[in-house]
Amino acid sequence: MREVLYYAPTELTEATAILADHRDKAAVLAGGTDLLPKLNYYEVKPHALLYIGRLGLSSIHNGSSALTIGATTTTADLATHHLVQQYAPALAQAARLSGSVAIQNAATIGGNIANASPAADLVVALLALDASVRLLSHSGQRDVHLADFFLGPHLTILQPDELITQIHVPLSPGKTEFLKLGRRKGQTLAVVSVAVRLQLDGDLCHDARIVLGSMAPTPLRCRTAEHLLRGQKITTDLIHQAATQAIAESSPITDQRATAWYRKKAGEALVQRALLQALDKKEVRP
Amino acid sequence: MTQYVGQAMPRYDGIGQVTGTTKYVDDIVLPGMLYAKCLRSPVHKGIIRHLDLSAAERTPGVVGVLTAQDVPGQNIYGASGDQPVFNPDHIRYKGERIAAVVAVDEDTCMEALEKVKLEIEEQEPVFDMFEAMKPGAPIVRPGTTHNLHEYMPGMTTRVIKLGDVEQGFAEADLIIEGRYQTTQQDHAPIEPHVSVAYLDPANRLVIHTVSQCLYFHLSQLVRVFGLPMSQIRYIGGTIGGGFGGKNDIHADHVAGLAALKFRKPVKYRETRREDLRYSGKRGVFVMEYKTGVKKDGRLVANHIKEYHDTGAYGGFSAYATEKCGMFASGPYWIPNILVEAKTIYTNKVVSISMRGFAIINGQSTMEIQMGKIAEALGMDPWELRFINAWRDGDMGASRYIVRGAGALEAMKKAAELAGVQLPAHLMAMSSRRR
Amino acid sequence: MKQQVLTFILNGEEVAVLVTPTETLLDVLRERLQITGPKRGCDDGECGACTVLLDGEPVRSCLTLALTVEGRTVTTVEGLMVKGELDRLQKAFYERGAFQCGFCTPGMLMVAKSLLAKNPNPSRDEIRSYMAGNLCRCGSYEEIIEAIQAVAAGEY
Ligand SMILES: Cc1cc2nc3c(=O)[nH]c(=O)nc-3n(C[C@H](O)[C@H](O)[C@H](O)COP(=O)(O)OP(=O)(O)OC[C@H]3O[C@@H](n4cnc5c(N)ncnc54)[C@H](O)[C@@H]3O)c2cc1C
Ligand code: FES
Ligand code: FES
Repeated sequence: MREVLYYAPTELTEATAILADHRDKAAVLAGGTDLLPKLNYYEVKPHALLYIGRLGLSSIHNGSSALTIGATTTTADLATHHLVQQYAPALAQAARLSGSVAIQNAATIGGNIANASPAADLVVALLALDASVRLLSHSGQRDVHLADFFLGPHLTILQPDELITQIHVPLSPGKTEFLKLGRRKGQTLAVVSVAVRLQLDGDLCHDARIVLGSMAPTPLRCRTAEHLLRGQKITTDLIHQAATQAIAESSPITDQRATAWYRKKAGEALVQRALLQALDKKEVRP
Repeated sequence: MTQYVGQAMPRYDGIGQVTGTTKYVDDIVLPGMLYAKCLRSPVHKGIIRHLDLSAAERTPGVVGVLTAQDVPGQNIYGASGDQPVFNPDHIRYKGERIAAVVAVDEDTCMEALEKVKLEIEEQEPVFDMFEAMKPGAPIVRPGTTHNLHEYMPGMTTRVIKLGDVEQGFAEADLIIEGRYQTTQQDHAPIEPHVSVAYLDPANRLVIHTVSQCLYFHLSQLVRVFGLPMSQIRYIGGTIGGGFGGKNDIHADHVAGLAALKFRKPVKYRETRREDLRYSGKRGVFVMEYKTGVKKDGRLVANHIKEYHDTGAYGGFSAYATEKCGMFASGPYWIPNILVEAKTIYTNKVVSISMRGFAIINGQSTMEIQMGKIAEALGMDPWELRFINAWRDGDMGASRYIVRGAGALEAMKKAAELAGVQLPAHLMAMSSRRR
Repeated sequence: MKQQVLTFILNGEEVAVLVTPTETLLDVLRERLQITGPKRGCDDGECGACTVLLDGEPVRSCLTLALTVEGRTVTTVEGLMVKGELDRLQKAFYERGAFQCGFCTPGMLMVAKSLLAKNPNPSRDEIRSYMAGNLCRCGSYEEIIEAIQAVAAGEY
């Protein structure tokens, strides 16, 4: 039988104290949809399980400059919450397209970020929205841009004694889109996913975000492609160029879901489609 | 009685399925039941040099271990009678069973398995059939000199012959070649492999099985256990899908051996991941076609070279190879057919039966070939198929007379469903006459 | 290993059971409580055969650590019947043969139950998308969709 301690604190200070005690011997458990397969198959052997579902971190608030989303907010809540639909429709769309109903009811936004899969749907959308995360440990708190958070597949800057407590999504204007291509339509991990955000100034592009999922060791912001759009008049030609550039910045692998070759071909089409569809979208206004 | 004819009736066992009361094998939990987990080879090919299970055996909660030495009968099973239950020496594929740990629960089994000391002298494996056929290729079966199945001593090609293909090619206006491959495929029933075994008060070995073919397996199991058939109560009938995968023994041998040795109820189940990685699969087929055709679309000769990857053991492959070859010309009348089929060993998991039993492998590749032929002739693919489809009285590759042919009628229905308007002269055709 | 008491509402009744921290809800239901309606198809969250309702919402019991359901309400296929009467979905699945081997059925029923509770009149596409996480290897999807539609249409 496995010797494991189980904690389900209701106070954040308790939770961070437990983490400080056990450090990397503890596993944080939120929805469990990434951790439990590993636990069931003996791939991880934590000494302690810290369940964070009772910390009261499952809420969505609208501040003056950002949406604040609690780390244990479920994907199901993100998909349906009116604030997310209103201010971060790309995130709601990513939530709707991730997993299936039973997965969405358990899966959390904090888990999607901490797990750091290159295919993480919510992360792809959050990067396009310039989100940041609040990290808390017993010794303090820091806010980190999500773009600076990931180091590689399942590798992040998160310290063993830190918890993600909140996600901040700045309220900024723009037209957004999230698209995902999987092996099938339901409950599927992305072969390639893309989130885009276009801030327009008349018919000029003031600023742009193009983010790819499953196309690099981490979800990828395609900064050169974004730069191509910035300050320019958006034309079909320019969109083609940006898509080609975005794929040039990616470095997909061949795995059980698709070949690298296919990912590049499909990815280019998906970026183009996302940019075109974003232009037709209603503008988000903070 | 008369009121039932032609009516759709609910399933006789359906209430159990919708209320969750149907007992599948993994639903059986018996008092004092032990669990088994297997030590599997981490390498594709090699020789076991050292196996030390003592630390595993000493783990608290472990009741004991099983190896080849614990097999009271013969350490052999499988459709071809060539697979060891526990491999004692020459590993042929990654994931092959070497030993089992039996304990009070699966957590303890897993903990004990980590303490096993296993040394295997790794050898170079071969995974590709065509590599395996080359001179000097790694030999999959120790003690043999090549990797080809022998249908009779020295006979490595199974030949199926109708008419004379050379004469057929001479008559042909066009010869079209094609090479196609079908992939390995898992059965993936939602119920994984599981077995529960115990000794009843009369000292008979009772096994609750997910077997799809109890009598095939019973005859294999009596050999493994060294028991007369009368001493085994083999209970099956409720399974969560099989699709041919449960035509092979995956768990009953291990559970049965453990129950016999430890005289307690034992459950042995494979995880989904074990099942996907290590259980039998539909094997890879490579089909090379050379088809002769007249300008008017009549097929006159089909020469097929068939290669079937059986993996590390024979499984059902020799038979599947034959069946595939027999039907690899599709439901079409071709007077001259030559099939040369080989079954090849590689260091992969075993190829076993799966839905359609290899027939669909050859039939699907023939349909791709038909598409290619239609293109070469500049003929509508429906037309090509209608002209050649079997009529009653035609002859198949292994000289069976076709009766009750229905390909034409099936194609008409398919066209209707697909919204394809077929021309009148095709619609007038019938399987009853040419 | 220290076992802990887990208390929750199972199919309308409070149960208390000793569990260890690494056990899943599926382990506890099947192995400790002999509630074997939820099936173990993968232990990986992929197949849906283990799906139960947690406070009315479908979740994977194989991915739910047992101790996390402390004080919550769990409904399995065993809890669908009311006073010995089949639920309408059970009737429709039974009469319309919405299964072959039946191994996926308990999970299918629970997700369908939740769908109709939220959306009493789902379209075919809504049914397909809501049920997408439940695999039926036997391929009874058409009959499953029809059974749900029949219940929605008031035929049961
Ligand atoms: C069948 C299936 C389908 C899936 N489909 C998708 C999909 O389509 N798209 C997708 O993106 N993902 C998918 N996933 C993956 C998974 O559901 C998501 O990544 C989910 O968001 C993880 O959240 P969780 O709360 O379940 O994480 P958990 O499993 O609880 O945790 C995941 C990891 O993050 C850590 N962690 C969790 N929360 C915190 C926190 N607040 N602070 C610090 N560390 C934390 C945990 O320690 C663990 O290492 C799927 C999973 C399954 C099983
Ligand atoms: S057993 Fe839980 S999803 Fe398959
Ligand atoms: S009925 Fe067999 S898996 Fe659905």
